[in-house]
Amino acid sequence: MVDDHGQLYTIEGIAAGMIMLFTTYLVLNATSVYTPGDTHISDMQLEQIGTDALRMMNTPLNGSLSESPLQDIIEYSGNGQYGFDNASFNTMFTNYVNNRTGSAKDNLHYYATVTYYNLSSQPPTTGSLFLASNRNLKGGEHPVRVTEWVLADKTLPGDSSLWSEPQYPIPRAVLVEVLLWRD
Amino acid sequence: MAGLNNDAQWIVMMGFVVSLSFFFLAMLLNQSTLVGQTTAESVLEFSKNDIRDVRSVIIQSDSVPDPGIVQNDITNISISRKDAVVYYYVTMPAQTGSYTNIFIHYNNGVTAYNETWISSYE
Repeated sequence: MVDDHGQLYTIEGIAAGMIMLFTTYLVLNATSVYTPGDTHISDMQLEQIGTDALRMMNTPLNGSLSESPLQDIIEYSGNGQYGFDNASFNTMFTNYVNNRTGSAKDNLHYYATVTYYNLSSQPPTTGSLFLASNRNLKGGEHPVRVTEWVLADKTLPGDSSLWSEPQYPIPRAVLVEVLLWRD
Repeated sequence: MAGLNNDAQWIVMMGFVVSLSFFFLAMLLNQSTLVGQTTAESVLEFSKNDIRDVRSVIIQSDSVPDPGIVQNDITNISISRKDAVVYYYVTMPAQTGSYTNIFIHYNNGVTAYNETWISSYE
């Protein structure tokens, strides 16, 4: 026997049921956002700052045919055959990454190396030379790695067996790698 | 309907409708975190800087006197330090009036990038 009594109860029942279903859906569907993953956002910013700084250093002066400051730093011969211009790199890089609007400086630290390809080792391997740093990397830090390719006329370890006299440096591609972190 | 008033059913139903719309809004908020997370992750995974950098050094190396040694450096350091397969070959201009072509291939396992670069000079 169907009659039209209790319509309001029926509507209320249906609505309550739907609300319960929606709540279950929302709870089950909620993604647990893993918090350490959020550090990627600040990592991305740090990576961009470092890459931009290195790219600025690897750009020749406006309108000139000279080499870029970074090339000059790599080719510098005042610190021995396999040495670099550590002081210039330190000054320039820290200026680029730490300068901010206003007088307070940022606290970015870095550890830079130069990776080269050793042609005379058997089998040929990549080697790494220290470039510069303003802080030693400790265990608790969380650095990002930024890199920049540089073409430089440089004598690298392993070259001497390949070319006899004259030992003029020929252009080589080396990778400047910088570990960058903020504390 | 014992003791129950039939009046104002419309108002009660509007109340339900409004509360349901709140649930829809909550669902939108719920999804928005997920969208933000996946977008940020895909931006991070795309190796924009690496591609730009290796492309720039390859084009720059076009003018060095011994390009074979530089190519050796680039491909080997890319594999060992950047986890990327980089391959390129240069086609020098065959006669006056043609251009230098460089075919560049980059693949780091997530992103593959191919380009044929043509010099703007003859």
